[in-house]
Amino acid sequence: MSVADVIAIVLISAGCFFFLAGTVGLLRLPDLFSRLHALTKADNLGLGLVAAGMAIYMANPWAALKLFFIWIFTLLASSTACYLISRFAREQAGVTANSGKEDER
Amino acid sequence: MNAMETYQIYLTASAVLFTTGLAGVFMARHFFRRIVATKIMGAGVFLSLVSFAERDALEFADPVPHAMVITGIVVAVSAAAFALALARRIHQLTGEHDFTTDS
Amino acid sequence: MSVWIDILLATLSVALAVRCLTAPTLAQCVFLFFAFGLTLALAWARLGAVDVAIAEAAIGAGFLGVLLIDALRDFAPAKEATVEDAEGYAAGGSAAEGSAAGVPLRAGRAALPLLPLAIAAVVFVLLTAEAVLNVRDGGGLTELAQENLARSGVDHPVTAVLLNYRSYDTWLEVGVVLIALLAIFAVGNGGTFARRDHVTHDPVLEPVSRILAPVLFLIGGFLLFLGKYEPGGAFQAAVLWGAMGILLYLAGWPVMTCLPRVWWQVLLTAGFGVFMLLGLAFMSGGGAWFEYPLAHAGNLILLIETLAALSIAAALTAIFAFFHEMHAPDATETPEK
Repeated sequence: MSVADVIAIVLISAGCFFFLAGTVGLLRLPDLFSRLHALTKADNLGLGLVAAGMAIYMANPWAALKLFFIWIFTLLASSTACYLISRFAREQAGVTANSGKEDER
Repeated sequence: MNAMETYQIYLTASAVLFTTGLAGVFMARHFFRRIVATKIMGAGVFLSLVSFAERDALEFADPVPHAMVITGIVVAVSAAAFALALARRIHQLTGEHDFTTDS
Repeated sequence: MSVWIDILLATLSVALAVRCLTAPTLAQCVFLFFAFGLTLALAWARLGAVDVAIAEAAIGAGFLGVLLIDALRDFAPAKEATVEDAEGYAAGGSAAEGSAAGVPLRAGRAALPLLPLAIAAVVFVLLTAEAVLNVRDGGGLTELAQENLARSGVDHPVTAVLLNYRSYDTWLEVGVVLIALLAIFAVGNGGTFARRDHVTHDPVLEPVSRILAPVLFLIGGFLLFLGKYEPGGAFQAAVLWGAMGILLYLAGWPVMTCLPRVWWQVLLTAGFGVFMLLGLAFMSGGGAWFEYPLAHAGNLILLIETLAALSIAAALTAIFAFFHEMHAPDATETPEK
């Protein structure tokens, strides 16, 4: 196993940890806004780390570029989706921070 | 018997999915859920087709079932979209969302 | 090791399907359906069906999921809390007592529907028996597809089947999408769209749509061209272009009214029409229906794929836009009795 493989494994494991943290946040945090926060922040970082690990593992600049763009566009899309969901929740569905009882049902 | 082949795993799953969907179609009331249930039935059928394609693989998996499934996915989504449009229209005009009133 | 990945994926897809059908609220049902579709896409990829994986993730989960979410506005408005839509299908039990699986199913009925369950059980047993007992390898049409690949005009077997060996299916499929669009229009107001001259300038969505729309167009074109050699092709491209249309529509651009109606009609029918005319042309030249001249097969397939992708993308955008406008806040139309 080469040094590159070890770095790739470390990066991908770290990425998986952040995905796990984001999922735990989604399940455990009390209201919509903090859940969105957990999802977008942790998962974007996790995806970035997984993509970086994959890029090193594949050792191919073309593939690395594709992975980089996948990450960038996912960042763009997920932050926009996060913004739209929270705007809708606040303005039209009347969700406020701390009104996080909806998962009790 | 040998260890389970990949296609056997997914073929079993496809049978369970088809049955789940079928039970859902009969047992769910809301239009919306029935449409989703038919989609799950369809997913079971597609999964079995692709599993057979994997079983018949030589250098590549059998492309004919793959093409059929791609066609099938598009047709199934078109049909589901039409069903959903009908359901929404019925709901808008009558306020109903299931068939219980006239059965 | 890898067997366990497959077992995990298969179990997960079944579990998600069951949860999806028994979810207490319609919103949960939709999002579990999303998750189900994406899990299934992973299963396709594991089975070596990358084309199918892209199509499933894009159309099966993505596009249909978007339509389902839009329909939620009718069936489960966001203002009323998410559980209120339970009353519609829980005739027997209140939302409070139907805490889990019982709610969406026929709680009001004393007896289970025995016949459907019996049929389901028989189907289940037969399919499982086929899966586990009937082990054989090789066969199918793989060999035939492989032998004729050199004469099909493309290098990717799935594209060869879709656009050459079985073009008849693909042609009719483009037709089915068109018919679905017309049927959906007929259910509503006949396919007229409110003119939106005014662009709603959302400070985030508008610039994002400016960035993402060209990217989606580019990647769609890339997939279309790639279909000749690798997984990709007309349907995958069509969904990306359709996604572009839907994104622009949602960002407030006047997508449905920017072109004159007749141009939309041309765009929507181009794929089906040109496909059919080409088929007739080959037939009048003495060949069979959709028997492409060998020398031009590759280019003809690319032409047909491009037009089919444009038509399907236009149809998907129009279906979504029409769905979106079905939920008219000023729903004062008189129901025709």
